Amino acid sequence: MLLKRHIPLLIVIVVGLITLFGHFIAHEGVNNFVKNVSTEWFDIIASFAIFLGALNMMKLHIKKIFNKRRNWQYSILAVFGFSFAIFAGFLYRGAYYLSISDVNAGKTSIVSNIIAEEINESNPLIIQHKLISSKNDYKIDKIYITKESSILLKDKLDPFVENIKIKSIDWGSHVQTEGSLFYWMFFQILNPLSATMFALLAFFVASASYRAFRIRNFEATLLLVSGIILMLGRVPIGDLIPWWMVSIMIVFGIGAISAPFLNERKTLFGIVGGGILAFIVFGILMGWNQNPPELLSIPSIQSWIFDYPTAAGSRALMIGIGLGVIGTSFRIILGIERSFLGE
Amino acid sequence: MKNKIVIYIFIFISLLILYHFGEGIVFVEGSLFTFSSVILVSLTLYYFIDQARKGEEIYLRPIAGLKAIEEAVGRATEMGKSVLFVPGISDLDQVETVSGLILLGNVAEITAKYETDLNVPVARSIVMEAARETCKESYLKVGRPDLYSDEMVNYISDDQFAYTAGVNGIMMREKPAACFYQGKFYAESLILAETGNSIGAIQVAGTGSAAQIPFFVTACDYTLIGEEFFTASAYLSNKPDLIGCIKGQDIVKLFAMVTMVVSLILHGFFQAGWIRFDIITLFGN
Repeated sequence: MLLKRHIPLLIVIVVGLITLFGHFIAHEGVNNFVKNVSTEWFDIIASFAIFLGALNMMKLHIKKIFNKRRNWQYSILAVFGFSFAIFAGFLYRGAYYLSISDVNAGKTSIVSNIIAEEINESNPLIIQHKLISSKNDYKIDKIYITKESSILLKDKLDPFVENIKIKSIDWGSHVQTEGSLFYWMFFQILNPLSATMFALLAFFVASASYRAFRIRNFEATLLLVSGIILMLGRVPIGDLIPWWMVSIMIVFGIGAISAPFLNERKTLFGIVGGGILAFIVFGILMGWNQNPPELLSIPSIQSWIFDYPTAAGSRALMIGIGLGVIGTSFRIILGIERSFLGE
Repeated sequence: MKNKIVIYIFIFISLLILYHFGEGIVFVEGSLFTFSSVILVSLTLYYFIDQARKGEEIYLRPIAGLKAIEEAVGRATEMGKSVLFVPGISDLDQVETVSGLILLGNVAEITAKYETDLNVPVARSIVMEAARETCKESYLKVGRPDLYSDEMVNYISDDQFAYTAGVNGIMMREKPAACFYQGKFYAESLILAETGNSIGAIQVAGTGSAAQIPFFVTACDYTLIGEEFFTASAYLSNKPDLIGCIKGQDIVKLFAMVTMVVSLILHGFFQAGWIRFDIITLFGN
């Protein structure tokens, strides 16, 4: 009980209070703890905890394969992917490059041509200049995943160069070097897969919007109308919609809202038709063809919706969330909330 | 009660005086307003916690999303399918994740009671350990430790979309009847919720990520919006001190509203030239 409950709770309370009031104490050590040390501690603990997660994942998948549980075939892929990442990160770095020195007399231009062709440089003179200016080692600006591919270039250069060394990028930096196996895995496998998952969002947004915009009640209609205005206002075509079309849309909107309260169809048609006519005649008389009012421009209506009702709603939400975070943190710091410790 | 309020006001004023005199020496300069806000909020919350402990009755409005938790697990039990709980993709340093774990404890209690399978895929190792502890305690509390296994909380990946793909895979293969998304979410929220919707699961979401709330509202059956999500533990546990804190939060919200209205009026007076003091300067830049 002491180790599982009281000590963790004490740590939470002490660190919570220091972090909260540390912001107000003018002491470099306390400020440093609040701003840097505490977050570094968290990062260190989280880094070590990665092993727990990785081991758990491997254990689960290996057990699944051995016990041939349902869908065990997918686990083979998971174990293979994990092992491949370990192999590329810790065991095989790739990232081979050639370093040359002592080019045979008069052969510099041939060597430059070979290198230029290899690294797709259109102007071999640039390579030649670099070759001459580099006194000792000249590092060829191309990195290979396998040693064999670097040997192919070495064989081409061998007759013209005295000293060719095949080197590899240092461990650690290889993960960020183009040409290492890890880099290849990251940008050729993981990145496209992540992008694919992210791209799914576009389709899901479409299906979710369809569901949200279906006209079922007043709120859904309001959402649909404001959604259309926002979409139109943010594309170039929104600017081209003339004032009279916006006027007609407004009159139709008023008609749609007042329709349930009007029993006579003729009255409704009268209001809508008369409204449209009145709006257009008034607009022409006011010279709106030349200077349309801001109120009847879709981009202006869009920015008004975005700047006022939307901002007000999201701020109200943020205040609620902020207070929720404060309340939860307060309960945790005081030790009132202990559910996260399993209590 | 009145004596208590006087004591709290006295403490508040004393701390402000202490800060004022120690400003620049012991305390950071220019943070008096922030400090006073922190103290005011803390004292208000503590006052209402104290009141609740003394037995004051506090009304909590019904929250449909929280009531739906048991209903969703019950439906999964009837259908003989599992329950999926996603505690978000952030680590335990986020309050939302802590709130998600608190809710997980409640969900685990219900699944233990109903003998329903629970699956908790996580994106962070520390969250995995905390979630296991929470589930284990819940199963123990209900008297069914035999039903608990470490495997019900499993780590998938730290990477956002790898985790999303993993959870979506679980949904498509196992077709859980109830999906809970409780924690901090980013772009994956809609992908998860729409996949859950496509398999016909009853979905209850809760998050403090303001940008993700519309997505959850659209795709889930119930959504705990913002502060509702943080009140879940108080609501479900029914502990007086937790409920007291919720009332305190509401009073702080009232303070915030009053401050906003007063500031608006005073700033208007300042702009009209009727007063010389601009209240906005109090809040900093």
